[in-house]
Amino acid sequence: MDEDKKSSRPGVIETEITMGPVHSAAIEPYRVRLFVEDEIVKDAEITVGVNHRGIERIMEGLPVEKANSLTEKICGICSNSHIWNSVLVAEKGLGIEVPERAAYIRVIMEELERLHSHLLYLAHGNEVLGHETFAMRLFYIRETVMELLRMIGGNRVQYGVSIIGGVRPRCELDEMRIQKIIQGMDYLEEKIADFADRFVSDPMVISRITGTCPIPKKEALRLAVSGPTLRATGVELDLRRDMKEYDPFEFDVITQEGGDVKANLLMRVLESFESIKIIRQAIKDLPKGPITDRSWEMQDTDVIKSYIEVPRGRLYHSYRLEDGRVRGSIVRTPSMTNIGAMQYACIGHHITDAQLGIVQCDPCFTCTDRAIQIIKL
Amino acid sequence: MEASTIIYSTAAVIGTIIVAFIVSLWLPGIERKFVHARIQQRIGPPISSPGFMAPLKFFFKETITPNSPVPRLYNALPLVAILSIFFILLFLIPQMYFLGALASVIAIVGLLKVEEVIYVFMGSLSQSVMSLSMPFPDVVKGAKHQKVTRSFLENLSSLRAFRLIAFGSFPLYLAIFVPVAMAGSVFLGDIVSYQQIHGPILFTVAGAIGAIVFFMGYMILLNEYPFAILKTKADVIEGPYMEYAAKYRAYNYIARGFLMFALGALFSVLFLGIPPNLFSVGILVNIVVALLFPIFMAVMSAFSPIFTNKQFYPVVTGLSLLGVLAIIAAFI
Repeated sequence: MDEDKKSSRPGVIETEITMGPVHSAAIEPYRVRLFVEDEIVKDAEITVGVNHRGIERIMEGLPVEKANSLTEKICGICSNSHIWNSVLVAEKGLGIEVPERAAYIRVIMEELERLHSHLLYLAHGNEVLGHETFAMRLFYIRETVMELLRMIGGNRVQYGVSIIGGVRPRCELDEMRIQKIIQGMDYLEEKIADFADRFVSDPMVISRITGTCPIPKKEALRLAVSGPTLRATGVELDLRRDMKEYDPFEFDVITQEGGDVKANLLMRVLESFESIKIIRQAIKDLPKGPITDRSWEMQDTDVIKSYIEVPRGRLYHSYRLEDGRVRGSIVRTPSMTNIGAMQYACIGHHITDAQLGIVQCDPCFTCTDRAIQIIKL
Repeated sequence: MEASTIIYSTAAVIGTIIVAFIVSLWLPGIERKFVHARIQQRIGPPISSPGFMAPLKFFFKETITPNSPVPRLYNALPLVAILSIFFILLFLIPQMYFLGALASVIAIVGLLKVEEVIYVFMGSLSQSVMSLSMPFPDVVKGAKHQKVTRSFLENLSSLRAFRLIAFGSFPLYLAIFVPVAMAGSVFLGDIVSYQQIHGPILFTVAGAIGAIVFFMGYMILLNEYPFAILKTKADVIEGPYMEYAAKYRAYNYIARGFLMFALGALFSVLFLGIPPNLFSVGILVNIVVALLFPIFMAVMSAFSPIFTNKQFYPVVTGLSLLGVLAIIAAFI
């Protein structure tokens, strides 16, 4: 049990309440054991492993193009992030320079996906709060993003935009598409601002989320928390600052204080405005020229690693190429490092807030679930 | 008593109960279709679905044995709830006022308490697969706190039901006693007579405050958001209802709709002086109140998050103080 969280009766745990792997508050299969005393969580343990699909194993030996497409299947929310990062690994290894226009389109897709992910996060957070009306309103707002993603990628999820050397020809942004994105950003900015005003002025909601399940900055750093959940504790760390794809764009790294549910929810709202800002800049300065470089040649590489900032935090992909095939692929999603924070956030709070404490860290256990359990007989 | 009077009274009682039952089947649909769905800008279910078609469907489903230490008792509890609500409605009908003590506020409170206590039993008798009995290899070597007592989610809702009995339903009972204080009698007949002479209690200061407290108490008793601590989706999921299937689940649906009508009729009797009687125009007022209450409740619940103890206790304390104030005002 974490010593920082004081107990009136240290060491006393009355009951264990287990939730999952199937539970109405969890949109994915995972198990949480809550150790409670008078409905106050004294300790928590999250177990994953129900959704193991062995994608890295399936990738082994596949042609790199096929393997890249497969990475999209890791997540239904940040599928673009996975294929982008996987493609970046190959591009780094093969020394491919992506055309500037393609890099801009990739950034537009990534920021649209961030909007989609953050709006989904806010909607799910409100569902767990028990505020279905807010959740429904957010799903309506999110619909615009989904339609823009479908327009560019051809699907509402798993768009297949990035390929080695650029983006797919069908994802080219013509004038009609550009106009639709501009209109979409105006609509989203207005609607998200309206929602934020309504959200923060609701006393009942604020009462539920203020000071609920906080993660102090020191603990967040100790637990290696990543992404918006870390920034909600006050740490200004965003990998987009170090990514060359984001160099042309002006944006602020949003931080909040306290790391509680309120800070996390507001964090996503404010980051959405930054994403809109980046998309507008990318559309305004979209360079002319080709969107794919096909002049590269396949060769064997050492293990190449790539980190990018995705909606939930830091995403890691690595593999090496051998005869054009993928070897030793490793994927690590941000939720893996955030599990410790989820457990920590629940402690000392009411059992109804426990799921909220987990959800505030934006878990994606289905993406995370690739660990192999080795049982020694 | 003349035979014609007996026939008239019997017809009135049976007719009123039937009308109440028919109306109650539509109340959940009105709540969900016309309020929740409209507010949330979605189509919503067909109006007949939540209260009528869903229970009807459940009657034709295969009945399973619930995962409970006493399955028969567990399955019988919704019927006990329907029975207690039936008696509440029965004693509210003016033709039953001759029963004396049974047609009094005390009997109504007692029957409401029976309805509340049922949830304690339901929760403690349910051991669903959604809870502790779901197979998962998590208590193995290396897992935390291996020798701790493990509890079902329904046990938690059972404890919450106990808290609701002890504390949560206070506002409703305080509001019920406002008309008693004004009429100076616990008998429903006297309360109705008082209002026929002095006008509806609702239109007095004490009555208006009492009505507000009654409405909030109505929401708490029906476990509607934000007071739905008994069946919070974020933790206990469906709470005590988790193991009900087929016709037993249908009984639960029917009990909830029936309770909505019964509490609406109770409000009409206590605050408007209009008891439910099929052969009187007053039944329309009862039906209107029964329709309005779920609508107001749905509006409130659509704009509120679920409460935890941090919000629930202060709200209930505030409402209870308001109820006490209404009783004091009634004496003044």
